[in-house]
Amino acid sequence: MMTWLRLHRHALADALRRLATQPLASLFSIVVLAVAITLPVLAAIALQSVGSVASSLETDPHVNVFLTLDATDEDARRIGDALRSNPEATSVKFVSRTQALAELKATTHLAELLDSLNGNPLPHAFTVRVRTTDAKKLDEARDAWSRLPKVDQVAADFEWSERLGKWIHFGNTLLTTIAVVLGAAVAFIVGHLIRLQVVSQRQEIEVSQLVGATASDVRRPFLYHGLTQGALAGAAAVGLAAGVSLWLGLQLRALTPNYAAEMKVVFLDPAWCLAVVGIAAALGLAGAWWAVGRELRQFAQAAR
Amino acid sequence: MIQFSSVAKRYEGGLEALRGVSVEIAAGEMVAVTGHSGAGKSTLLKLAAGIERASSGTVVVHGQNLGALGETALAILRRRIGFVFQDHKLLFDRNAFDNVALPLRVTGCAGDEIGRRVRAAMDKVGLLARERAMPVALSGGEQQRLCIARAIVNRPSILIADEPTGNLDADYAKAILDLFQSFHRVGVTVLMSTHDEASVARLGCRRVALASGAVAP
Repeated sequence: MMTWLRLHRHALADALRRLATQPLASLFSIVVLAVAITLPVLAAIALQSVGSVASSLETDPHVNVFLTLDATDEDARRIGDALRSNPEATSVKFVSRTQALAELKATTHLAELLDSLNGNPLPHAFTVRVRTTDAKKLDEARDAWSRLPKVDQVAADFEWSERLGKWIHFGNTLLTTIAVVLGAAVAFIVGHLIRLQVVSQRQEIEVSQLVGATASDVRRPFLYHGLTQGALAGAAAVGLAAGVSLWLGLQLRALTPNYAAEMKVVFLDPAWCLAVVGIAAALGLAGAWWAVGRELRQFAQAAR
Repeated sequence: MIQFSSVAKRYEGGLEALRGVSVEIAAGEMVAVTGHSGAGKSTLLKLAAGIERASSGTVVVHGQNLGALGETALAILRRRIGFVFQDHKLLFDRNAFDNVALPLRVTGCAGDEIGRRVRAAMDKVGLLARERAMPVALSGGEQQRLCIARAIVNRPSILIADEPTGNLDADYAKAILDLFQSFHRVGVTVLMSTHDEASVARLGCRRVALASGAVAP
């Protein structure tokens, strides 16, 4: 057990020494890898940010029923009763024309414009929360309500946010594809860098094998090298993505101070940051395994 | 200790380095393999050390049939055999100490144990004062001794040397052979190749002569 630990400690020390003895070359390769990893990380941050805006929006299934302008309070009461009697409606909220106008004046900068108009241009309206999100049932309810006398328009406002959700889902699929492709690229880049190392240390490997190093003994320091390179690149990518997100966040805040929904860049949570570093390390390991395995097979054939 | 039975070795391209070689070397014995260049001396030594595999026949070392061993088992067996290479196979990017320490690092030996064993081996070959020297700063004879120190650092029971006196002047060659004889005296099985018949005669050890890949009568 002690021997096993010592072999791993030596291999890790060896890998770190290799990184340290060629600082510029190591730095360049880590930067290349970090940039490749940063791209899907940034895409993930973008999707997460859009997702957070979408979830802060009204996604409750509700239907707005607007009455005609000439509808009286009596009409409104009658329609309210009709809406409440529908089994799909869970709650019905009445917004009178005067209430709607007051709200519009309070929440927008349109007060002067509205004052200049003759009378109130807004109709009575109902907000109906519905039990279902099923399109067919919803259409039936909408049809029934729009046939009621003095009903002008029935609008299901949450449909567009559902559509946004579908776009986010598509974005996630796209992100996964990009992440897989760039992940493979990272593994191949590490593999190639390790292969160059292996070739440049061919003599050391040969002598080590002659004095009794097994394939795992030869492989071990290179695997640690790939692992540390991947992990460092992953950490650098998280740092890079954090920097870019911070900058974009500031830009976004300057751009959208007055929007009702808060637009902000949502950075990855710590678990995801760790996962990025872990995945990058695993890809580095895989690349190194592939490269050393290839070279070892060539050595073994030469000994035949 | 080392047993060759009808061993043949053919290299890619058809070169037949050994043909039907049967030789047995007892534990603690010192044997010199002689013959002209291309007689198959180096091949015989590499097969005995598990560096190469026989094309046919069996090579048994430490009671293990090398042909039946997998790559890992063969590598582990090599740790119990010291090999002095004709071309030294030193690593020129590290100092004398680290060259000698290589077989110990491979086995995961502890740091202080490495220091102790490396210094003992370097003392044995008379290079203790040169442990920080880079191989390129060493003379041919010193490089040869460094290679011997690396071969004995694991305290192997078998020491194999390929032309250990090949490029050395007479005095140096004698010192090296005396060194091998001292290992032999403490019970190490020594197998070495040489084309220097005079030194074999002086050592008084058993001689296996090879000619065109076969044991000469």
